[in-house]
Amino acid sequence: MLEIKNLHVKLADEDRVILNGLTLSVKAGEVHAIMGPNGSGKSTLSYVLSGREGYEVTEGSVIYKGEDLLAMTPSERAAKGVFLAFQYPIEIPGVATMQFLKVALNSQKKARGEKELSTPDFMRLVKERASKLNIGPDMLKRPVNVGFSGGEKKRAEILQMAVLEPSLCVLDETDSGLDIDALRVVADGVNGLRSPDRAMIVITHYQRLLDYIVPDHVHVLSRGRIVKSGGKSLALELEAKGYAQFESEAA
Amino acid sequence: MVVQKTAAEMNYGLSLPHRKMEDWRWTDLRQLVDKPYPPRQTVVAAAKDVERLLRSSPFAKVGGARMVFVNGRYAAELSQLKNDTVTSTINVDEPVITMNAAFATDGACLKISGTVDTPIELLFITTNAAARTIATRNVVEIEQGAAATLIETHLGEGSYLSNSVTQIRVGEGARLDRIKVELEAADAIHLSHVHTTLGKNSVFNDFTLTSGAKTNRQNGTVEFKGQGSEAKVSGAFMLGGRQHADTRLVIDHQVPHCTSRELFKCVMDDNARGIFQGKVIVQRGAQKTDGKQSSHALLLSETAEFDAKPELEIFADDVVCGHGATSGDLNHDHLFYLMSRGIPPAEAKSLLIAAFVGEAFDLIAHEGIKEALVKFSNKWLSQHRSGRA
Repeated sequence: MLEIKNLHVKLADEDRVILNGLTLSVKAGEVHAIMGPNGSGKSTLSYVLSGREGYEVTEGSVIYKGEDLLAMTPSERAAKGVFLAFQYPIEIPGVATMQFLKVALNSQKKARGEKELSTPDFMRLVKERASKLNIGPDMLKRPVNVGFSGGEKKRAEILQMAVLEPSLCVLDETDSGLDIDALRVVADGVNGLRSPDRAMIVITHYQRLLDYIVPDHVHVLSRGRIVKSGGKSLALELEAKGYAQFESEAA
Repeated sequence: MVVQKTAAEMNYGLSLPHRKMEDWRWTDLRQLVDKPYPPRQTVVAAAKDVERLLRSSPFAKVGGARMVFVNGRYAAELSQLKNDTVTSTINVDEPVITMNAAFATDGACLKISGTVDTPIELLFITTNAAARTIATRNVVEIEQGAAATLIETHLGEGSYLSNSVTQIRVGEGARLDRIKVELEAADAIHLSHVHTTLGKNSVFNDFTLTSGAKTNRQNGTVEFKGQGSEAKVSGAFMLGGRQHADTRLVIDHQVPHCTSRELFKCVMDDNARGIFQGKVIVQRGAQKTDGKQSSHALLLSETAEFDAKPELEIFADDVVCGHGATSGDLNHDHLFYLMSRGIPPAEAKSLLIAAFVGEAFDLIAHEGIKEALVKFSNKWLSQHRSGRA
């Protein structure tokens, strides 16, 4: 589904190189965890995949379902099934959550040449997906993420994912700022979306999230490249020994 | 120094305000009134032109009784409300009022007692004819304990100067919700002055949408005459092309225990220019005044411009007053978030612009009117942002 080859990325307006030859292959149905210390390039990877401005790819390629992902605009990527669950979801005053979800879903359907959902069908879909994430009508009435607690914001991200049904989900530090109960709700939501057609990249600093979202593969990111890959036991090893060992290997 | 009169001034026999006058520094009518607009002309309007204009009101379906003015004259056959003779005196030396006093041909005289449930619409329409000045003088009186919602719509075609002066009195314990929509023709000039006095424990909720005319200058004065009153004066600009809109408000707290709020949301595209001048006066003895004003501009192009001039004049010591003004571009993080969910750039921008002006629309109590304005703003956005990334 996703082939990242020798990806080099720098910040657009300064010379700092953040990704430095990252290579990663993700197949449909797989869950990959990317772990690494602060500043290793985890969030940059998520932004480059979703098309945020401010980053410049100097070398390498990202092929998604056989197409050049880097040539697409953010909305084209989304319509083709790429979804980023933000580490810090953005508050948008004045835009109602329901309206936002509906415009997003129907824009994607339109771009794919599918039939748009009618308002009643859309309402039914959102209510059904929202109830599984403990999201009541009250939250849906508010503007996008405005006044949401940290946990509510993360649940709202997963709701968007459940409604938009992407093929490739990138979860950036979805566990940050969550207490154990909220983490469980979010993880259950994510696990409910695991499917043979869908791949996930779970970016996290801590092993804790991976007790709930169990990955097929774990990769260690250090100084902009993957320095070690393994099974889920690698996450436990990292938890026990820390990242220091990889910092020296990368250098 | 002898200043040569402009052609328009010669035609009027009046001097026009110019940029050396502090209140008019951004709106030099000596230049902007670009040719003579002869006053007091009699123009017979074709029925089909009038019908087309009436249908184009955003409030055609909101219902309620109408009072229609065609080319500055009350049109009884199009109106459900009877009109009376206007007697209005505003003791303020102000150029828009001076022009109006010289040239007004007619106007609405409205006295409301009791509670009127459906909105009343005053429609001022101008049909296409030779360039001319059309001046109307209106008086609105909301009697003690009465309540009403008043819509004022200005529509037209062709090249003209419209001058509208309105005197409003809101009586003790009365409430007026007023919604003005300025959708004059693209080649028109709109000048207005609204002078409002508020009695004890009254409520005045005023909203103005400014989206028509090539040149627009709107003055508003609100005088608090009785304690315990509340005024909300808000508005939205939706401007493009080379449109110029200047709003000047004076909120005059003459008595204690009154509250005033001003909120203006201004969207400007292309080479449009918006100006907001807001002055809050708290007179000696007007203690416990709570007055706040803010203006926010969203500039959609590099060449659009917004100027804000907030002023506070406070002569009492136990008051809460404040002002704020911002001006900027769309928030890039907001845009990226919407696009990352599959919303194309042009639509993402429209959503954010609609949300920006929506904050001012939300101050309108009447749902039907609010919906009509949201519909208008969506139409404006689709015309102004279509095909642009």
